[in-house]
Amino acid sequence: MTKMIGQRAIASLLSLLGLMILVFFLSRLTGDPAVLFLPIDATEEMKQQFRALHGLDLPLIEQFARYVWDLLHFDFGESLRKARPAIDVVLEAYAWTLPLALITMGLVITTAIVLGSLAAFNVGGFFDRLVSIVSLVGASAPDFWIAIVAIVVFSIGLGWVPTSGVGTPLHWVLPIAVLFIRPFGLVVQVVRGSMLSALGAPYVKTARAKGVKNLPLIFVHTLRNGMLPVITVIGDQAAALLNGAVIVETIFGFPGVGKLMIDSILQRDFNVVLAAIMVTAVAIFIMNILIDLAYGLLDPRIRH
Amino acid sequence: MLLKPILVGALLASTTIAPALAQADTDITVVLSEELDLVEPCMATRSNIGRVILQNISETLTELDVRGDKGLMPRLAESWEDKGDGTWQFKLREGVKFSDGTDFDANDVKHSFDRVFSDQITCESKRYFADTALTFNVVDDHTIDIKAEPAQPVLPLLMSLVTIVPSETPMEFVRDPIGTGPYKLTDWTAGQQIVLDRRDDYWGEQPEVTKATYVFRSEPAVRAAMVEAGEADIAPQITAEVATNPATDFSYLNSETVYLRIDNQDAPTNDIRVRKAMNAAIDREAFIGTVLPEGTELAVAMVPPTTLGWNAELSPLAYDPEQAKKWLEEAKADGVDTSLPIEIIARTENFPNVTEVAEALTQMLTDVGFNATLRMVEVAEHEQYYSRPYPESEGTRLVLAQHDNSRGDPVFSMFFKYDSQGTQSGVNDPKVDDLIARASAATGDERAALWSELFKYVHDDIVADVLLFHMVGLSRVSERLDFTPTIATNQQLQLSEIGFK
Repeated sequence: MTKMIGQRAIASLLSLLGLMILVFFLSRLTGDPAVLFLPIDATEEMKQQFRALHGLDLPLIEQFARYVWDLLHFDFGESLRKARPAIDVVLEAYAWTLPLALITMGLVITTAIVLGSLAAFNVGGFFDRLVSIVSLVGASAPDFWIAIVAIVVFSIGLGWVPTSGVGTPLHWVLPIAVLFIRPFGLVVQVVRGSMLSALGAPYVKTARAKGVKNLPLIFVHTLRNGMLPVITVIGDQAAALLNGAVIVETIFGFPGVGKLMIDSILQRDFNVVLAAIMVTAVAIFIMNILIDLAYGLLDPRIRH
Repeated sequence: MLLKPILVGALLASTTIAPALAQADTDITVVLSEELDLVEPCMATRSNIGRVILQNISETLTELDVRGDKGLMPRLAESWEDKGDGTWQFKLREGVKFSDGTDFDANDVKHSFDRVFSDQITCESKRYFADTALTFNVVDDHTIDIKAEPAQPVLPLLMSLVTIVPSETPMEFVRDPIGTGPYKLTDWTAGQQIVLDRRDDYWGEQPEVTKATYVFRSEPAVRAAMVEAGEADIAPQITAEVATNPATDFSYLNSETVYLRIDNQDAPTNDIRVRKAMNAAIDREAFIGTVLPEGTELAVAMVPPTTLGWNAELSPLAYDPEQAKKWLEEAKADGVDTSLPIEIIARTENFPNVTEVAEALTQMLTDVGFNATLRMVEVAEHEQYYSRPYPESEGTRLVLAQHDNSRGDPVFSMFFKYDSQGTQSGVNDPKVDDLIARASAATGDERAALWSELFKYVHDDIVADVLLFHMVGLSRVSERLDFTPTIATNQQLQLSEIGFK
């Protein structure tokens, strides 16, 4: 097990290095941050000064060498726009994205497993219908529309929750609810499908014959066998959330990493882009390792 | 057993609700469209920063009355005088204190400019002094002589663009700006809010607003909803689609002018008939009330009508597609290749409905026979086409752009947009250069007359570009406030102008 983790960590580190090199050079191909930082009627001298201040006038390879050297000292450089350490900006945003992703995924996993299993157990029944409707909405209605409608209905109409922002637990309700729908719709369908085939297995028949009741039959006997494909999908969905939820963050004014990343790319704030991508990559690598461990936990054959 | 968690939960909930209840009636919340990267006084001419700090935290020596007709007003300078030879003497207000308790004096003025010109930080306001060398002579604590080389007739006006900081301010961007204004920064939580509290020791009249909280939401519908739900009091820059409540939604000219920049040196737009045809091809009225809000005005100059030298005699070239076709035919008969590709470059999110506007413009040009196509680009790419050196193209490019001048004088626009050396200019005309140079150096009525002449020459005689619209801004203001947004709201939002009903 430790060997597996070690191998994965080394592989991840190499990918991270490749990613860093790629993003460093690609981002610098996209344009000059001085032009975007300074007003449109800035003089050439001001632009030169900005470039010199931030080392953007050096040869590309020297810029890269300096960046790597600083990185080895855990210095991700300054944000060009915000005049403060890039890593601080990113970690601050991550402190919002991480709980948002974890709470949403936690809710998605528990509800999808329970409702998906019940839907599979009684095809065409109440839970099956409910799950189909939510999946359909999640797959077809765009996030921004759901978000705006949710604000109009629940904040302005009913006055139950604040429109946007952060600060109180109530502020989290709408962003989580909007983020929840799509991954839930997907995961619940996978749970349903996987449980359908698991429930058809001969050992289920045997268990029934022994007199096992419905609920233990579903959640104790069958679920573990139906979970492997579900974990894979959960991993994909969680990775998407860890990347930040740009639309939800934009609409609800939620200070997460998704909007930060988009803004930094548009503004050519290279150091923040790099720091954000690397922190996200690390988070996703860690999550992938956790998912591998979960596979092993569920299916002893995978452990070896 | 169960009681304890419930009590703890209730206690926790009450602590989170308490701050909302504690808000005084004279506290307001402003919801802005974008977060501030910096709260640095020397960057206050950037509109999103200026809206928070200009004249609220940091003040300037002079102040332009953009909304009224009082012209240039004293602020930290009580009076100023032209001593000749390019030197202006400013008498500074006495008894003014910075929010850190130190006294304001002439050395602070000098230091504020030293910061602007320092090569250790990149201050925005430096651009206003591009070709002017300033020397400062502190006469006494409250008198300072500023000499400009070459002489700068609008130096007192330029003083309205430089914020004054204490002489202890370091040569780097600060995160806790100290100013002489009626408010001080008390909280800045990145990504969430900026809070200004009213000072008790402000030199001027005490404003009514005691505390202002700025929050940031990029979606206009959400900004409007926040005012409607009572979570915010002012929401600048909402869109026409959501501005549906006449009781709270204000529309006003916002000092932005939209136009198509034409490269007058490129074929086929180097022929004036082609440029006239472009102007006549566009049905400007058709945009208003459809893709642009009601109240939008047709533009005849690069600056809004509140600007010095405004020429009221100009009117836009009439929409006349048949005449446009005729001009094109004439040009073609004289050997101008009117079939050359014309690419319109427009910027996504430049203003609401920019894509629809750009598509309609392209279609209107195509209808009279131009070989026009549209390309929407993001801000960085747009800049490459907008500013010199312009990239090569097979035919020519028209750049759809928006220019903001709420500073009261055309000097902040005309050089950049029309001089043969101007960064975004498509014009190379000695008479234009001469008029700009003379108007920039002139004062009083002569200055206004020269600008007026330049507007006419550029619009009627050389038809330098396709001037389109003076844009309208829409803001939602809570009914409890006594505040009307104006043309000044784009660049600054002075809390002292806000009252309560």
